[in-house]
Amino acid sequence: MAVAMILSYRYLLICSATLALLLQLCSGLSLDTVREFLTREEDTVVFGLIERAKYPRNTPAYDPGYLAGGHGHNASFAEMFVRESEAVHAKAGRYQSLQEIPFFPFRVPFTLAPPYNFTTELYSAAAFVNVNDAIWSTYFNQLLPLLAKNSDDGNYAATVASDLVCLQALSRRINYGRYVAEVKFIGDQQNYTTLIRNKDTDALMKLLTSEAQEDVVKRRVQKKAMVFGQNVTLDGPVETGNSNSSQTSFKVDPSLVYELYDKWVIPLTKQVEVEYLLHRLD
Amino acid sequence: MGEVELSLAAVRDALVREEDSIVFALIERAGRPRNAPAYAPAGGGGGSGGRSLAEFFVREAEVLHAKAGHYQKPEDVPFFPQDLPPPVFPTKGYPKVLHSFASSVSVNDAIWKMYFNELLPLFTADGDDGNYAETVALDFACLKALSRRIHIGKYVAEVKFKDAPQDYSPLIRAKDTNALMNLLTFKAVEEKVKKRVEKKARIFGQNVTSEDSADKQEGNADDSECKVNPEVLSKLYDLWVMPLTKDVEVEYLLRRLD
Repeated sequence: MAVAMILSYRYLLICSATLALLLQLCSGLSLDTVREFLTREEDTVVFGLIERAKYPRNTPAYDPGYLAGGHGHNASFAEMFVRESEAVHAKAGRYQSLQEIPFFPFRVPFTLAPPYNFTTELYSAAAFVNVNDAIWSTYFNQLLPLLAKNSDDGNYAATVASDLVCLQALSRRINYGRYVAEVKFIGDQQNYTTLIRNKDTDALMKLLTSEAQEDVVKRRVQKKAMVFGQNVTLDGPVETGNSNSSQTSFKVDPSLVYELYDKWVIPLTKQVEVEYLLHRLD
Repeated sequence: MGEVELSLAAVRDALVREEDSIVFALIERAGRPRNAPAYAPAGGGGGSGGRSLAEFFVREAEVLHAKAGHYQKPEDVPFFPQDLPPPVFPTKGYPKVLHSFASSVSVNDAIWKMYFNELLPLFTADGDDGNYAETVALDFACLKALSRRIHIGKYVAEVKFKDAPQDYSPLIRAKDTNALMNLLTFKAVEEKVKKRVEKKARIFGQNVTSEDSADKQEGNADDSECKVNPEVLSKLYDLWVMPLTKDVEVEYLLRRLD
């Protein structure tokens, strides 16, 4: 009897390990590919912030009252622009692959995009998980005031177009936590399964977190802000990365980018990871 | 960037800042493969009328931009200007520093052809990842940045004219395009621009790691690691961006005395 139990236990272990291996081979998803994606996404985020920082605050673009007169709208210019842009993107086939999630879901009966066979590596019951609402409010209420100079140049369309680019980059990066969670789950199914069944969010968060890794990410993205945001001239860069450089030497304050990742991007990503995992056994 | 002020320094600053935007946009586009189906003329159904996804997307995006009041300034020129709706939202006025016909000067047809036929094959890898919508959105960003840089030529022309109307006026009256082109061209400046934009591609396109390396500031990384080959930027500016900018300058000047 004991022998039978040991044998069947071993059999189960072998099965689930094989399954995990097969799933990873099929999906091409591994801790390495996930890290690669997130690393590349840092450049996109930094470029996006640099381009947004070209324009000042342009507060009327975000004020729902600005458009109110005569149109009966309660939405700001920014919200309308993002909604309508996402509708165009959706018609062009964006959001089909589940890698990106829109801020304002828009149903399209068909898209004009050429067909493509997307495979998803995500567990379907958990794939919807996202924190777009938190990203939206963090971006406009917390980040923008720190990023853009406090004035108004009237270029609302260009400004909000560049906001959309930032929002999409942040959303893609943060909601990628679903893929991170999937990889971590597959890599340690036993532990995660127990915690998920107990709905132990704290323990899940702890299991997911690697402070050493987070530190590397934050330092790297701060450095990218320095490198990409410098004024490049033929006589050599204006500042040579001296830590005493004033903020105005760089197009975006590198310590702001560090703070962005420290206070929002990384925590929100982990929130997505935990929420995804909580649905992983549905 | 606010309105382009009218001094050679301010205009040159604007052009320099646009270089960064162009390099960033190309780096982002280079992150995706060629995705050729996005550029193929579509089959009949779905109302796209045989247009490619790229053209569909740009047209629709420009309609939205127009409603949002984007095409007010002479440097912001749509690729598909016909039947664009007027702004739905109030737009801020801006000081008019150029001749009134400036908005009608456009080389966007040439930019469009150049971008899709010549440039894209140079800096995107063969392949298809199916993300056509994201891809054409990135193309639109490149097109906008290129178009803006090139149409800032209108300001360049105005500054140069104001600086030496006695040199430009007779050539304008004689409609001597070649002589105008010669007068506008400063080879030394062009060489510097090419070198600088190549340097930017090297610096912005490198793989930045968290390990400290003073080299990163200077961009001494091997070119093969760059996300966009710096030579592509140099060639882009040499063969297309600077010549097209000068075409804009000449076209502007030819009507300057009207």
